[in-house]
Amino acid sequence: MSDFYLFRNAVRDLLRPKRLVAALVLGTLPALVAGIWRATAKAGGFNAEVVYNALAGNLIFGFILVILAVIFGTGVISQEIEQKTITYLLTRPLPRWRIALAKFLAASTGITLTLWVSMLLLALVSFGGAGFSMERLGKDALVLPVGALAYGSVFLLVATLLNRPLLWGLAYAFGWESWASTMPGHFQKLSIMAYLRVLAPHPQPEGESMDLSNLLSAMNTHDISPTFAGRVMVGVVLVALALALTLFSFREYVPRDDTD
Amino acid sequence: MIELERASRWYGQILGLNDVTCKIPAGLNALLGPNGAGKSTMLRLVTGQLRPTRGKVTVFGEKPFANPKVFRRLGYCPENENSYDEMTGREFVTMLAAMGDIRPPKLASRVSEVIEFVGMTANADRQIGGYSKGMRQRVKLAQGIVHDPDVLILDEPLNGLDPVGRRQITGMLRELAEQGKCVVISSHILHEVEQLTRNILLIHRGRLLAQGDIYQIRSLIDAHPHRISIRTETGRALAKWLLDLPYILSVRLQNPEGTLLEIETRAPDQFYAQFPEVVLEGGFVVHSFESPDNNLEAVFRYLVGE
Repeated sequence: MSDFYLFRNAVRDLLRPKRLVAALVLGTLPALVAGIWRATAKAGGFNAEVVYNALAGNLIFGFILVILAVIFGTGVISQEIEQKTITYLLTRPLPRWRIALAKFLAASTGITLTLWVSMLLLALVSFGGAGFSMERLGKDALVLPVGALAYGSVFLLVATLLNRPLLWGLAYAFGWESWASTMPGHFQKLSIMAYLRVLAPHPQPEGESMDLSNLLSAMNTHDISPTFAGRVMVGVVLVALALALTLFSFREYVPRDDTD
Repeated sequence: MIELERASRWYGQILGLNDVTCKIPAGLNALLGPNGAGKSTMLRLVTGQLRPTRGKVTVFGEKPFANPKVFRRLGYCPENENSYDEMTGREFVTMLAAMGDIRPPKLASRVSEVIEFVGMTANADRQIGGYSKGMRQRVKLAQGIVHDPDVLILDEPLNGLDPVGRRQITGMLRELAEQGKCVVISSHILHEVEQLTRNILLIHRGRLLAQGDIYQIRSLIDAHPHRISIRTETGRALAKWLLDLPYILSVRLQNPEGTLLEIETRAPDQFYAQFPEVVLEGGFVVHSFESPDNNLEAVFRYLVGE
């Protein structure tokens, strides 16, 4: 019951106008780019498959998923600390791990819904309402919540461990994640994105031009089977979440600038 | 209900609370001290937000840190005014009531009941962001009492309230104390607390200086005789009578007209008992008498040696 109220209020918090507008702007970005791409392409030069794959892979999975996970994943705890409202939650007869879990699930739901809307809009604009593969869309739709949970739990762990989690989260997301997947050797196996790419591949057709990072990734292939990738993602979610919830149960959280 | 046993709390190199031992009983209790004295640290230890670095803190015999059993019977109103500004007062109290194991259909009625108790019925469905300071204090009090706790801890609950709001909130706190609850309020404004309760805990630089009834504490401070001012028309004659009493240490005329006397005594209770007799026997006209240091401010000043 109490978990439901926490979950509901956290979801409602995500639906506040400022956040909703920001999420909508981010969510419509891929569709907007696809629209511009379509409008500026030469006659017959617009390949819906290429556009969808490029934008879904780079913008939805590579950017929007990650940025939303950083903001909402770290925000589960840090927002309450910054607003100094964490005191109210931590002095209630509810185990701390349940508080964090309810808020984490609400954040993951919000991220997933934004990503689904973004993906649907992109598919509609790219394929013009026909010709898109339901199998492809279905796979993306299934893998996006996996990504939201995996990144979200890692960033929740960052927030329970470190001060200024947003900065650390951004550094991890756009530093380590982009760097590791392009490094030679087995570094990419330490990147969540590498596994998501295996679970929801967005291949570029032969002969298409590639940017440097995609080229490096393509040159640096290691066999990761979809089954293995799925297991690793489940493992990341379980381990990161268990660690985060345990730490949250034992650490002291006193709002900053409020100690006498 | 609340017990601290040699409890200390360090923040890195800074000492927040130093070797405090005390028991806080049911009734209205005030934790007093200047800003930075350690009041909030002590309350955070009691409300299980912090662990003591040394010593022990127990509430209902249990360690309070992250302990749902304790929180079921403990309500807390933090000092800061931050809240969920986009929620309405009712939503805020409802969420925290639900976290306090109150379930529908009782939930809505209990929330309405406490909202009415704190006088917020008319504004309960407005967003907290638009509330005045007084409304925020009330809604904070509502969330603190919604699960009917046995112990209620309030950190500076009277801060920034206008006199009417202050009177209403103190009235509510008295009512809760009369119901047998243990109410602990912290304050750095002495006269405010003086009107509220006589049970005090004085804290300064992290140390508990004194605990108990304000008047008893005052009487124990032997180094500073008790001063009493008397306004009378017959100052010189009264002074002569008073000097004959064995427990009067000194009598001073405070103005040339001799209408204002100040006496010093180490036995104020004896003086107050005998004074009416003296007045009647001598036929003195006394307009008023009061003790300028029989108050918290004086007690505090004496105890901290400032």
